[in-house]
Amino acid sequence: MTVVRFILDGIREMFRGPREYWMWLGVLTAVVAFGAWSYSQQLTNGLVVTGMSDQVSWGFYISNFAFLVGIAAAAVLLVIPAYLFDRKDIKDVVLIGEGMAVAAVTMAILFVIVDLGRPDRLWHMIPGIGRFHWPVSLLAWDVLVLSIYLLLNLAIPFYILYSHYRGKEPNFRLYFPFVVIAMFWAISIHTVTAFLFSANPARPFWHTALLGPRFIASAFASGPALIIISLQIVRKVTSYPVSQTVIDTLAIIMTIALQISLFFVGVELFTDFYNEGAHAASMHYLFFGLGGFASLQIWIWLALVLNLIAVVILMIHPLRKNTLLLNIACVLAFVGIWIEKGMGLVIPGFIPTPLGEIFEYTPTSVELAVAAGIWAFGILVFSLLAKAVIAIKQGHLHDRAMDTKYSL
Amino acid sequence: MSRGRNKIRRRSGEHSQTVRPDRANRPSSVLLTSLGGLLFGLGLLIANAQEVTDELKPLRFEGYPNAREAAIVPRKDDLFFYPCNQCHASMEANPEIRQLNAMHSVELDHGLGRIWCTSCHNLENRNYLSTLLDEPVDFDQAYLVCGGCHANRHKDWLFGAHGKRVENWQGVRTLYNCTHCHDPHSPAIKARAPKAAPPVRAGLKLERATEHVKSRVWDSEEEHEEQ
Amino acid sequence: MSNDGSSGEGGSNFDKARRNFLRGVGVGAAAAVATPAWGGETFQDAFADFFQKDYRRMSAEEIEAALERIERRAKRRYDVEIECENTPPQQGVVFGYAINISRCKGYRDCVHACVKENNLGRDSQIQYIRVLQMDQGDFNLEHSDHYYDPETVPVEGKHYLPVQCMQCDDPPCVKACPVEATWMEPDGIVVVDYDWCIGCRYCMAACPYWARHFNWTDPEIPAEEINTDTHYLGNRPRPRGVVEKCHFCIQRTRKGRQPACMEACPTGARIFGNLLDPDSEIRYVLANKQVFRLKEDLGTEPKFWYFSD
Repeated sequence: MTVVRFILDGIREMFRGPREYWMWLGVLTAVVAFGAWSYSQQLTNGLVVTGMSDQVSWGFYISNFAFLVGIAAAAVLLVIPAYLFDRKDIKDVVLIGEGMAVAAVTMAILFVIVDLGRPDRLWHMIPGIGRFHWPVSLLAWDVLVLSIYLLLNLAIPFYILYSHYRGKEPNFRLYFPFVVIAMFWAISIHTVTAFLFSANPARPFWHTALLGPRFIASAFASGPALIIISLQIVRKVTSYPVSQTVIDTLAIIMTIALQISLFFVGVELFTDFYNEGAHAASMHYLFFGLGGFASLQIWIWLALVLNLIAVVILMIHPLRKNTLLLNIACVLAFVGIWIEKGMGLVIPGFIPTPLGEIFEYTPTSVELAVAAGIWAFGILVFSLLAKAVIAIKQGHLHDRAMDTKYSL
Repeated sequence: MSRGRNKIRRRSGEHSQTVRPDRANRPSSVLLTSLGGLLFGLGLLIANAQEVTDELKPLRFEGYPNAREAAIVPRKDDLFFYPCNQCHASMEANPEIRQLNAMHSVELDHGLGRIWCTSCHNLENRNYLSTLLDEPVDFDQAYLVCGGCHANRHKDWLFGAHGKRVENWQGVRTLYNCTHCHDPHSPAIKARAPKAAPPVRAGLKLERATEHVKSRVWDSEEEHEEQ
Repeated sequence: MSNDGSSGEGGSNFDKARRNFLRGVGVGAAAAVATPAWGGETFQDAFADFFQKDYRRMSAEEIEAALERIERRAKRRYDVEIECENTPPQQGVVFGYAINISRCKGYRDCVHACVKENNLGRDSQIQYIRVLQMDQGDFNLEHSDHYYDPETVPVEGKHYLPVQCMQCDDPPCVKACPVEATWMEPDGIVVVDYDWCIGCRYCMAACPYWARHFNWTDPEIPAEEINTDTHYLGNRPRPRGVVEKCHFCIQRTRKGRQPACMEACPTGARIFGNLLDPDSEIRYVLANKQVFRLKEDLGTEPKFWYFSD
């Protein structure tokens, strides 16, 4: 069957390439293996190997989860200009962006799984044979929307690439509705993830209507940062043409999003500190320490500084046009938002506890190793998918059955 | 009482003589008015006498309306020296307030000197306690004595807002007597060592807060004063 | 092992080897199924445990089987015979609790009675009740001391507030759970099905009273201190990786006994009973005392009140 041939050819393409490519895969696989080994320690001894406690019951894993859902959602920033504004240059790279979305969602789901106390009971979530608490539980919503987003980002590129593989034009009328769904869905996955946190009046730090907009804004600042860097790498190591206009458009989107994101940070700081009440305790802990505890203080200020430098670079046209400075801004913004939206979001929600206790959290080496393994796995998935996508788009990969059919 | 009677009669008598001088000159009206006043005064006397008798009838505590049924855990078995008349039957009762030099003298720290032994112990029969109205009370019903002064507490205890119910929350209500928790001679609950502080998760260390936040307005005032 | 296929006495060497192999596999399989080789479980129990349905959908027989598995597991783990029951809720009963905070002296007798009664893991360091010490005149929980350890209590100038699961009537934790492993029973107790919980800890984030706790590791209970009267939804030994919390001593209260914390309190500060019974002590307190609840403004409707007099 052609489909089987397509899949097999694709897989073969993923594992074919020059030595540098194999070294890249090798390094990633080594990190993944290290992460997997660390995770096995966690499975053996329980979550006690992490730094989490009853006081801070979510930590590094969920921090990365929240950040990565944002990255996944940001793929829509390529989809919208490609299909709604008919930007040919962006359309050429949109599938790579969707590959990044797939990798990001996969990483997000993996981070949730490694955070579970009983991953052997995952089947309890399957509707019908388990109990799926939808639509009441926000976590059920998150699982649902992330799964479907993953499916969308696998199915649409699959169809398009499969058409290319067969030498046919993909039927626009068939896949475009799904693309539109994917656009709205991208916003929804990140809004649902924000609601997961903001739905809890028990946690005043999260219980703000602004959390949803903050998530979208920071996602649209950090996602393009990653895409810009990745596309430049693709342009460099493969012969695949990535137009500079793509980078420019993404850079402008990123600039606006980062400005809005920083504005939101300012809004939160004012609202909490103008008349500081007990609900501001978490914010106070984060930025200024509380009761003598201040382990996150240096990190959040660092994040703020990084984001400010990035936004200044981005806002000044000649600086943004400079490739080196743009890349620096991307790295600074990516790291800054990773800090602010990761640990800077999740941990202060638990400090102080609802009973007023301050108990700090530091990730252990096991957590860091597992997290590194998952990131490596995501980059690995992205690399493999990008390899196949590029090969198909460049026409290197096509259905050989058609060759024999039409050859003499 | 008799003073009142005289007062009433005299008053009405004087009134009828001084208010209307014209009519008073007619002998029949004087007689009639005096008779009226006499009858009036008699009537008042009878009526007041009734009220006075009713007022005098004493109220006795007969328990609370809608009292809940309860079985009270007895105390007599826990009292080492009971029955007290083993010794006290042969001893003369001495009501004088003094420092007792008895075999089982207790430190009386109850009411800051407002009460003494015989406030609660029945002087006539040491096997009993006694209420404020000198009614004898069995040691197993000591709460009647405590309730004499601590009426609100007594009501709370009987209805379940104070004190300790034992054995179950459902079915027969079994309550501890007041004296089960409160030594009647020194009723304040004594300080004692607390049980262990909560642990932290295995593998983590507790870092106690270095600052104790003082939020009360006078805390900072006091600090200012110290400065 | 020569295998030239030639037949000889008793079959060829290969046949013999094959027979021995199959015999060994058979014995091994039987052993694997019956002996506790699967992380301390027998294969049957591990298999049945994995596929166990959630409490509310199990039939009576399935629940019986689950109770027996729990008893067997306790025997294997702690070498103790426990009884695991499934006492149903009483009709016409909704539990309520009140604490007289002017009577609480901060002894923590309740905390430790609960630990013993409910087989709480000493190593996972779970305690359902936490007593807060605050300055007189201050009711800000952020100024409280959870780890007070003076010579004697009550300390002069301090007051004490014990906090545990409020058994909310509109529980945010129940809404949060993605697999419905926690719910409110008809008698008002918010329970957890420890065999259904996946350990995501979202409910812990959602609880405004810090009442839910997690087994970060296998709960360690000294075998001689195990309470053998257990309930499936209550104090039966819990596995690792699941959430648990105060359940109003469901194994006791459904049979008319007091919760362990109430029984242990020496000052009689704790009052417990049936909110639906107008003659109960708890109803008297609610009608005659100035009661309040923690974080009233969150709308969780706790069935746990405080008062002072």
